[in-house]
Amino acid sequence: MSGRRAALVLLTAVWACAPVPADPGTWPSLRDGSDANATCTWPGPDPAPDIREWHFTHKGGRRYKMGLAVWASPALAIVQGRPMAFIGGYGQTLHALDLAAKERIWFKITNGEIGTAPAVGRADGRQVVYWGSADRWVYAHDAATGRRVWSRELVAPSPTMAAAQVSSPLLHEGTMYIACFVHDRALARNKQVARLYALDMATGEVRWSRVVSNGPVSSPVGRDLDNRFHLWIAARKGLLQCFDVSGERPVRRWTYQIAHEVFGSPAVEPDGDEPLLFLGSKFGNLNAINARTGQRVWNRMAGNWIDNTACLAAVDGERVVFVGSHDYKVYAFRARDGKELWSRPLGGEVYSAPCFFRESAGPAIAVSALDDHLYVLDARTGEIRTSYFTGRPIWDKVPKGETLWGSPVAFQAGDQTAVVHGSFNDTVYVLPLEGEVSLRAQARSSAELWWGLLVVLGLFLGVVLPVVLWWPGPARGQGAVRE
Amino acid sequence: MIERIEAALAGASSNVKLMENALTGLEGSYVELLTILALGLLAVIPIVVPQHRRQVYRHLNQVFGICVFVFVVFTCLGVFGMIRNFHRGLNEIGRENVIALYYCSVPVTVLVTSMIFGPMFCGWICPTGALQEFSGMLLRGWHRARKRARYPFSWLMLGTTMAVAGVFLLWMKRLADTRTFFVEDASIYWSEVLILILFLLVWRMGAWDRRLRRLRVVSLAIILIAAVAQLKVTSPVHFGFSKVYDPASILATVMVVLAALVVPNVWCRYLCPWREAIAWAARHSVRHLETDPDKCTRCGTCNDVCNVDAIDRGRVEPRECHMCMKCVDACPTEAISIHDRWPHKEQSAERAGS
Repeated sequence: MSGRRAALVLLTAVWACAPVPADPGTWPSLRDGSDANATCTWPGPDPAPDIREWHFTHKGGRRYKMGLAVWASPALAIVQGRPMAFIGGYGQTLHALDLAAKERIWFKITNGEIGTAPAVGRADGRQVVYWGSADRWVYAHDAATGRRVWSRELVAPSPTMAAAQVSSPLLHEGTMYIACFVHDRALARNKQVARLYALDMATGEVRWSRVVSNGPVSSPVGRDLDNRFHLWIAARKGLLQCFDVSGERPVRRWTYQIAHEVFGSPAVEPDGDEPLLFLGSKFGNLNAINARTGQRVWNRMAGNWIDNTACLAAVDGERVVFVGSHDYKVYAFRARDGKELWSRPLGGEVYSAPCFFRESAGPAIAVSALDDHLYVLDARTGEIRTSYFTGRPIWDKVPKGETLWGSPVAFQAGDQTAVVHGSFNDTVYVLPLEGEVSLRAQARSSAELWWGLLVVLGLFLGVVLPVVLWWPGPARGQGAVRE
Repeated sequence: MIERIEAALAGASSNVKLMENALTGLEGSYVELLTILALGLLAVIPIVVPQHRRQVYRHLNQVFGICVFVFVVFTCLGVFGMIRNFHRGLNEIGRENVIALYYCSVPVTVLVTSMIFGPMFCGWICPTGALQEFSGMLLRGWHRARKRARYPFSWLMLGTTMAVAGVFLLWMKRLADTRTFFVEDASIYWSEVLILILFLLVWRMGAWDRRLRRLRVVSLAIILIAAVAQLKVTSPVHFGFSKVYDPASILATVMVVLAALVVPNVWCRYLCPWREAIAWAARHSVRHLETDPDKCTRCGTCNDVCNVDAIDRGRVEPRECHMCMKCVDACPTEAISIHDRWPHKEQSAERAGS
């Protein structure tokens, strides 16, 4: 091989391996890319519209069920020059929100709860939003206008069938992959089956389907390996599967049985020939698995469940995996060997998946915790940069570990960043990180906490106590008594 | 070791609501209303129980109250939770009418039953009061001896108070190192003030006991202002009524129980804002205690048995009385008795007299 030819081959290989910049007009899976960064970046060069604080509440007529997913995670996309969020929830309605104009552009009511994030893709030259609903249907609507493109019933109904659990779609080159679990309670028809479907993105035609579990399953994530599109999906019962879906029919490449329940979806490194896949479990361990072979590379324990999806990002040239746990902590592990870079305790169980973005102050992640706060942390050190009070749950009690509530996503334009989060208090928050935000709550350091106790001590002994002791008038028990 | 204890607490906390999970699994059954039903039943029980076993039934009622409100159904019986839920119930009118009814009716039920039957909620139902009373039983003899001696300085009390303060400080150190706090984590401040009060009581309980009870007005004012201004202040004994595993609230609850070892019902005496509201509602209650001065021998038995020092040689202080009726049951001459004073009967009697 001549030197010039070798250089050309090398250049081509480098180009092929380089991460392709994400299309801001699409949101191809649950947390955007396979790395689950969940961030939409304004493409420029035009200046991005100003995103201001917005609290969107949709009050439907439905009765709350304890622990339900009030809002699913949103999907973000730039649609006709507007930054838009698409989000559904227990209200059975998918809302298309214009983040700049602070208005709802369109909405679509389905016949079931929307439990997971929609996906946004391009089909026939237009942007289309795809989502599944507990009514067993998949919907495709024009992202700009809300006009129906197609809808497809995945499973035929029966009078005894419970609400379906439909995953987030995964979009790739004209095909939508989506999983659906249904449970028919009738003894005669008793069936619990989760199928993975491949549908034509333009027409909704089902190309193939295959059983992947007899229990609920996560949302699929995918990426190319050896120029063939691979898809990973985890069953609640812990079975992680890898499929090659480039051919006519899906081919299962490998399976990996995790010994405990799995709630979240896998996150996969978006580049490299031997990418790692990360998946947490109810045992509280984060598993790093070779996405090509299904071999476990490393495993790290948190103090409690890891319910949600991990998030991958490059920080200072090193790939880092971020994950939240019910032990109140957010963890950052070095992706290649699982070395713990930092862990940060927050005020409550970290139920959300993190989203990663880059601020002017450096890389950051946003997570939500069961102390009703959304935190923005420095991705390098785990320091809390800011936090927001995002409201108490609409139900009195929180059944932990039974539901995946919405996770935050981020919209970025230059130095401007806004976090979008559907909170379990029934409100979707759009929170710009710069400037004044009404919900900002200052988390206190350990030293501030002790100072707070000292201040209370001083106030009590110096003000309250003298007033109480020497207030004129009879003390309790010295007034009139009934005899 | 500490991590093991924390893990055990977290595990226990996640399991205590098993009954609730089972009940709420009944979709559309509105099991939340069981709280109102339970509250109503618990309020009626003091009226119907036989007199000779009244205290046994009262303790059963308290245990049942703890089980119902901590382990089974939803609600916060703290004043802040009730005010917050009342506000929330108003917002739900028109959408979730049953839930609105539920949220609004919990505080109304407590206050109305207090207006009619007196402050029986405190003595017969309140889970926080019950936990304190059960805790105080461990040192009942010591408490009575101190009371008879008019609360002199006691090294034992000082040592116990320092031990309680030590638990608080160590626990706080652990929390400060392992979790993030916000301004609204106010339960730690309630615990701090409770411990400060204990220290004051070590030396000055005899002199300042009555004056310190004015603190209840201050705490009620703080909590009302916080609720109206929608400040995010956690209820001091939030833990029992919440499914969220909240270490600060667990700490506050444990502090209340430990402090009650040193001074019986210390939370109810000096800080409970709900106690102040109930005392206000029960000012003109139909049911009340009366002392027959001709029968009273000033023996002091009633004072001995009263957990909150609401009675002194037969003189019942209605603003402090919890209506536990221990004094009625303990009085050797039956000088203290329960009376129902219905306004229309009094008017009829007045007319007949005139």
